[in-house]
Amino acid sequence: MTKHAGWWYGGVLALLVLTSLIALVAGTEWLGLSQVTWAVSHPASRAFVTIFSLRLPRILSSLICGGSLAVAGALFQAVFRNPIADPSILGISSAADFFKLGGAILLPWLPGRNWLMALVGGLIALTILTSGRALTDPYRLIIVGVALDATFVGLQQLLSSGAAAVSHSTFNGLTWSDTATLLGLGVLGLVVALILAPWANYLKLTDSALKNVGVPVNVLRWTLLLLGMYLAVSVTAVVGTVPFVGIVVPNVARRLVGHDYQTVLPFSMLAGAWLMLAADTLGRTVIVPSEISAATMMAVIGGPFVIILLQRGRGFHGMSTR
Amino acid sequence: MECQHVSYQYPRQTRGLNDLTGVFPPGQVTTIIGPNGAGKSTLLQLLARRLPAQAGQVVLNEQPLDQLTTKQLAQQVAMVTQHHQLYDELTVREVVATGRLPYHGLLQAVPANEVTPYLEMAGLTSLADELIQDLSGGQQQRAWLAAALAQEPAVLLLDEPTTYLDVHYQQQLMTQLRQLAAKGLTVIQVLHDINQAFRVSDWLWLLQDGQLVASGTPDDLRDAELLGRTFATSVEIVTVPHLGPYIVQVPD
Repeated sequence: MTKHAGWWYGGVLALLVLTSLIALVAGTEWLGLSQVTWAVSHPASRAFVTIFSLRLPRILSSLICGGSLAVAGALFQAVFRNPIADPSILGISSAADFFKLGGAILLPWLPGRNWLMALVGGLIALTILTSGRALTDPYRLIIVGVALDATFVGLQQLLSSGAAAVSHSTFNGLTWSDTATLLGLGVLGLVVALILAPWANYLKLTDSALKNVGVPVNVLRWTLLLLGMYLAVSVTAVVGTVPFVGIVVPNVARRLVGHDYQTVLPFSMLAGAWLMLAADTLGRTVIVPSEISAATMMAVIGGPFVIILLQRGRGFHGMSTR
Repeated sequence: MECQHVSYQYPRQTRGLNDLTGVFPPGQVTTIIGPNGAGKSTLLQLLARRLPAQAGQVVLNEQPLDQLTTKQLAQQVAMVTQHHQLYDELTVREVVATGRLPYHGLLQAVPANEVTPYLEMAGLTSLADELIQDLSGGQQQRAWLAAALAQEPAVLLLDEPTTYLDVHYQQQLMTQLRQLAAKGLTVIQVLHDINQAFRVSDWLWLLQDGQLVASGTPDDLRDAELLGRTFATSVEIVTVPHLGPYIVQVPD
């Protein structure tokens, strides 16, 4: 933990509260704080409906999705020992998206269909990703991941061509039931991730060094990998693919609060939640009454970030041998 | 520690170990020497159970190594390798703490008071919260050795521990190993510098082409004909004032 970690934690918490308040009052219709408090006691009013049925579920969903994606990214980076590994860039999310769409067409009667299908997709992508030599070679991992991602995006376009434009990766129109699903799945995964944070630290050592001290490397690796996959596909199941949160947030977190995953993971969770809420709120307020989806916002912010990270960073962890 | 008819063959290679039988005397420093490709590092890997013996067995305190759980093994045998590659940043304290993992559950934190004595022993207390990547080669080596000692092993394996050290640190490390052995630790190392091996060891294993050519005390093995044959070169043993016998290679 760095000297300033406490300040950064305070800062991100303050930003979270502030942004949540702005998100509550801002939108197509701007409400003052007094109107918000008034609406609480008037459940029949239009303001009440706007706040409690539209904005609140959307705010909670963005927070939990941002937190989940950031933590999922950090876990993937720890396991793959690669600072740009992330479920969205490695094809896990697009596989989940593709299977979700396939499920909607083939198994419309299946209860919990979206999540189950997304999980199956995530598992299949993860199996392909880890079955070859990608696990031991950082360059191969990214190339295989990008190819996997392109394949599943293509398959998804193939499946959805002809269908009416599928609305994607947006927090617009989320219901309380969606929000409850996200909260249930997300909170469970995040709690487990925070408990297992020390494992991410152990994976900084080589496999043979870990075996020397009696640590079952593969148990650690697969637990964290499955956990990261679970967090990412849970978001995909409800919202769709949102890129780059998992890369941008943990990398900034490491700069701000240090290298220890016991600090990086909780900070990433908070910062990811904030970033997603900020992106979504900005997206739905800048060009009122239209809106930009959070996924698009993140692509615009995240793409350049990754380019800068790779062009100026000190290279893949797996490759540095100083 | 003891080898009983141990063999290991690398797949699709002629290299390997062939029917090795011999002891590593407890509480002594044993050095494995031999030409390149003789199987020194392979033997060390087998002693650490990183490679499985295909025939025969490695025995520690009358118990075959492969009957131990990974955790029991980690409480008995520690290894310091040549390459301490880390994928990400860790502080010296965190590195040394990994040595305590064999004594704790996977979700338990290692108590600080279990780490402090080993930091002190290695003279790294003032550097405990520095990143190990920022330390000099000698200091890094000390930190990894401290981590291995934190395992409280009965046997310490070292693969060419002097490679990245200057003469001063080499001397210091060898003195430390002798002190540890005097306290009962069995030290088994691979060294390239044959004179250093003869100087610091209680016991030597001489390997050639995966076979144990000879084992014994340095005095037993200080034989120009034997060493010359094993290393395929002409060897003479001269006496250097203040130092004693010294093995030199003479041009044909």
